[in-house]
Amino acid sequence: MFSEREILSVVEMLKNENLDVRTVTLGLNLLDCASDDIGRFTDNIYTRITGAAKNLVKICDEVGDKYGIPVVNKRISVSPIAVAAAPFNAQQMLSVAETLNEAAGAAHVDFIGGFSALVEKGIARGDRALIEALPEALTGTQRVCASVNVASTRAGINIDAVLLMGKTIKEAARLTADRDGLACAKLCVFANIPQDIPFMAGAYLGVGEADAVINVGVSGPGVVKKAIDRATVSNPDLNLGQISEIIKHTAYKVTRIGELIGRDVAQRLGIKFGVVDLSLAPTPNVGDSVGEIFQSLGLASIGVPGSTVALALLNDAVKKGGAFASSKVGGLSGAFIPVSEDLNISQAAAQGHLSIEKLEAMTCVCSVGLDMVAIPGDTSGETLAAIIADEMAIGVINKKTTATRLIPVPGKKAGDHAFFGGLLGESIIMPVNNATGENRFLRRGGLIPSPIHSLVN
Amino acid sequence: MKKMIISVLGKDRPGIIAAVTHILFEQDCNIENVSQTILQNEFSGIFIVGIPKTLSEDELHRHLDAGLSPMGLHVYEKQLSEADETQTAVESEPFVVVTKGPDRKGLVASITAIMAAHRVNVTNLQALFKGGDDPNANIMIYEVDIPSDANQQTLRRDLRETALALSLDISIQHKLIFEAINRV
Repeated sequence: MFSEREILSVVEMLKNENLDVRTVTLGLNLLDCASDDIGRFTDNIYTRITGAAKNLVKICDEVGDKYGIPVVNKRISVSPIAVAAAPFNAQQMLSVAETLNEAAGAAHVDFIGGFSALVEKGIARGDRALIEALPEALTGTQRVCASVNVASTRAGINIDAVLLMGKTIKEAARLTADRDGLACAKLCVFANIPQDIPFMAGAYLGVGEADAVINVGVSGPGVVKKAIDRATVSNPDLNLGQISEIIKHTAYKVTRIGELIGRDVAQRLGIKFGVVDLSLAPTPNVGDSVGEIFQSLGLASIGVPGSTVALALLNDAVKKGGAFASSKVGGLSGAFIPVSEDLNISQAAAQGHLSIEKLEAMTCVCSVGLDMVAIPGDTSGETLAAIIADEMAIGVINKKTTATRLIPVPGKKAGDHAFFGGLLGESIIMPVNNATGENRFLRRGGLIPSPIHSLVN
Repeated sequence: MKKMIISVLGKDRPGIIAAVTHILFEQDCNIENVSQTILQNEFSGIFIVGIPKTLSEDELHRHLDAGLSPMGLHVYEKQLSEADETQTAVESEPFVVVTKGPDRKGLVASITAIMAAHRVNVTNLQALFKGGDDPNANIMIYEVDIPSDANQQTLRRDLRETALALSLDISIQHKLIFEAINRV
């Protein structure tokens, strides 16, 4: 038996605050599909994916109906293709991407992640073939998402790979110039990529994982914002310690629901439950925004002085509440600040409150990085690589995940508008310092060594 | 030992449970279950007790009535048949139905009529009507068991239609959600 207050607070959360399970992602190991015959390999992975994911969408919808909480996205992540398809050349990698795209379509999922390579210490043959294939693969498919890990705290930063990614992103943008460089929105460059991310575009299934797992991404920026609003209305003098507690309690509730639903889906599919990713993931809808939380906290806008510390408070409280609520936590776990995917954040950029430099500072204390940032189309490959390298340094030195998802929008300049559509949203193009210039520092290439772990300052 | 169910009703005051259980103890009865609640100032208690073979229902009633009527309490007893105990449970899923909306007569009757038609069993009901049009002042919270073979879609549709006709805001949620959030 529950008290009236307990019941009413839950009902309020479900009804008016956009609470949902953002994604249930089926992770599939493809390593035993190995073959050096491209036809056999693509047949194997198609059969594996469509077989395992046959009931994924149906079961997620059934469980969503049972609890009255929708599972918004159903997705698939696979073993890094650069490893699973290591014998193949770039041309053959394209047919792997097409097969992934078809398999995802047959399973009725909107995205499949794992067209990925791990090159933080060196680039193997399969990695090079995959990266070479990326621009065309992401242009020719709708559902395939790609990621490349170019740095880690243990390996350092592979600047050769970073430079290669700068060129690759430019080419991907060029090939999708008619869609504002949309291919780049499906490509993340990582430092310290986790093996169990359920969120796109970075989702892939690490080589240390089992045959199949269900990973769940919870969300709920709207729930956190409303909780802060309610608390500050009833007590305008709340201090930041008290607000942190409110966010923590709210994150706990959101995560409990994610875990409940994820476990039910996993049980019905007969697949091991992996992790809950405790992320605040916004969508381009009012009331479902991470940016709005900054205003509820009392800042004029995300991006003004105070934003980094506010994000630090938010991110930490979300982790604390979520970690206690779930038996297994993983993935990115923190607040996302994707510019085009969050209406409020993209407005902050348009109004001049948020610069790319402030975004970079904020990524030191949140879960991802420079995410869905539209930049001028004439940004040089070297400058792109330099932005990526800066972001990787933050991850490597601070022993955390960072990533970039940069879109140099062809033919457009700072202040113009880029439109990606759907969950990817839209955004003003943010100015980049020294966009077209050269970068002789980065051009030297090589591996920046892994950092020392003592003398912590 | 026979089993009896005893219900006690009257204005609330300290000492009601003490009085009832003292009489039961004196008559060598064994309490198995007790539930009590207070609505506004009225007390209601239900006791399931085992009574010795030598004690008749009439005797038990006389003892209880003699002790409790001076306190302004009404008492009623009924023997539990074995059929009551062996009744098989229907397989079901627990849900919580919450309504909010302007007060009027017949709200509980309308909602429970739909539930009864779908063989939904109400396991706990908290209803508070302060009157007036403020939805937050007029709330019903039903904890219910919905039979697994019931047609959930029609049930939900019927409940929503009825709620709409009564200007009620209705929410139908699985009980596990409330457990997940409110219980560690």
